[in-house]
Amino acid sequence: MDKGKKIWRKNLIKSLTLGVFLFLLSFTFEPYNQGQLALVLMLFIGVLSLTVLTGASGQISLGQGALMAVGGYASASLITNLGASIWVGFLVAVSATAIFGLILGTAAARVSGPYLAGTTLVIALALPSVANRFESVLGGDVGLIVDFGTPPAWISNLIEVGYEQWQLWVALPVALTALFFTSNLMASRAGRSWQAVRDDEIGAAVSGIPVARTKVIVFVVSSAIAGLGGALYGLRGLVGPSVYPVSLSLTLLTAAILGGVGSIAGAFIGTLIVVFLPDLIDWAISGLAISEQFSNYLPSLLTGVLLLATIIINPAGVMGAGHRRKH
Amino acid sequence: MNTFISTLITGTANGAIFALAALGLVIVWRGAGVVNFAQMGQAMFTTYIASNLINSGESYWLAFIVALISGSLLGMIIDLLIMRPLAHKKSSSSTKTLAATIPVIASLGILAILQALAGIFWAGEERGFPTPVNSFYFKNGAGTLPFSAFNLFVIGVVLIVLLLLTYFFTQTGVGLGMRAAALNPEVARLSGIKVSRMRTLSWAISGAAGSLAGLLITPSTNLSPNTLDLILIIAFTAAVVGGLDSPLGAVIGGLILGIGIALVTTYGSPENVFLAILFLLFAVQLIKPNGILGGKQVRRG
Repeated sequence: MDKGKKIWRKNLIKSLTLGVFLFLLSFTFEPYNQGQLALVLMLFIGVLSLTVLTGASGQISLGQGALMAVGGYASASLITNLGASIWVGFLVAVSATAIFGLILGTAAARVSGPYLAGTTLVIALALPSVANRFESVLGGDVGLIVDFGTPPAWISNLIEVGYEQWQLWVALPVALTALFFTSNLMASRAGRSWQAVRDDEIGAAVSGIPVARTKVIVFVVSSAIAGLGGALYGLRGLVGPSVYPVSLSLTLLTAAILGGVGSIAGAFIGTLIVVFLPDLIDWAISGLAISEQFSNYLPSLLTGVLLLATIIINPAGVMGAGHRRKH
Repeated sequence: MNTFISTLITGTANGAIFALAALGLVIVWRGAGVVNFAQMGQAMFTTYIASNLINSGESYWLAFIVALISGSLLGMIIDLLIMRPLAHKKSSSSTKTLAATIPVIASLGILAILQALAGIFWAGEERGFPTPVNSFYFKNGAGTLPFSAFNLFVIGVVLIVLLLLTYFFTQTGVGLGMRAAALNPEVARLSGIKVSRMRTLSWAISGAAGSLAGLLITPSTNLSPNTLDLILIIAFTAAVVGGLDSPLGAVIGGLILGIGIALVTTYGSPENVFLAILFLLFAVQLIKPNGILGGKQVRRG
């Protein structure tokens, strides 16, 4: 009990420190980089959802972007149709995606390994058809237009806030909440029982852990986190099929793998890499005479190479090295 | 009535191609325990090679052969450079739980690299791909017949390939060796079968099958780095429907999907194709998770 409280307090201090650091750092940034940092935080939540799924069940999902889309659509349809505030939108996004995850998890608990990967990929691909099928609510190909709005008067009277900065200020508390929740969860009794199921199903069952139910719960929690990230991601301007393409799911997976599967710090590092890699490449080749065709495909090429290199050199990812030393 | 028959024939021809792609997935899954998400990326790459040969004035048939050979070479290279080292790598405790998913991630990385390279080499814009025979519907005195010469060509080619593969896997020593290596690697090794060589061979055969599927489907989809992603999804669904470890199941699954998709496109709307695929995938996994012809212990990993 005492130990649990200590972890709880440690995680709170860690999350708050990161929050204050990023908040102060954002004042030194150009608007473009403030927007990029906000993007990192949004995708970070999506990667966290994979960290929970993979870290707690050993499975990978190629359709996490589709779960983000569920959250995005849930909040956006509420905001555009009923005029709800974005904060209510977040809550609804989480609950709607949790329900979706429950349905999916019930089917997915029976499925494993490559089967789950393929099925989630199909879900991600089927998304535009669903959006078209229910065009009146979901806006079809175009989607639903939403945004972060403007800061409330008590903030804008105090200090002038740019749109990118406001994005960051909304994304920051949401991402920190997800971070705090996830880090506590993985260290909690529930989180440890999930990892027990992951490492040895029979052993876990013998210890009195309900294996089938646990698998479904992991899916529900992972989906709910993805939904939160998706709602935030959609607020950048549009919730539509083009915002949550299959490549989004693959980006999330790449970030999770690069950083180190199951590691929360790794999730953050991986997200930083995938968001800033294109900028970094642009900067690196700006002096060179390279055709546009080449530079267009360079990020994708490097991502693939990084992914393969990670898998071959150290499958545990950037943060995995430290984990291994402990054993 | 004519619409219905032509839908059925087009569906069967496309289904034959899906069957081929699904068969490629099944061969690598049985032979090496990997679901190869890069398969149609490899096929896209070799179809580009064929397309470039044709554009530079070579004959279709030369391009056809070159594509098949480069398809099997690409499969071998992927196994030798990436998949075999991965399989031999000792798994540390933190990655043991990921053992089943690591090859999947590797195949996604390969897919990304192949698509980027194709984009860099051959531009990102779509181009057409020719057929060796006429792809317009036959005409006779009474009117238009509901199928084209290309439909018949596709069905014929796939039929020949299926017969050859059946002969190979049931009558030849190498084919039987491959099945033994897939069924029980330890015992096969004791009987003197070179198991890792058999694995490489599965990658080569699967690569050639995928390439052939690519050559046959691109006339109707056009060619760009991403066009064959859809075929991979359909082939995966076909393989799951038929049972991932059953070659016959893959063929049946491919035909079911081909005819089903043709019917949905003609009588429903093309937009619903994905929903239909998703529904089929869920239904099979809930009702018969091992597929129509799958064995009892399919879901390793």
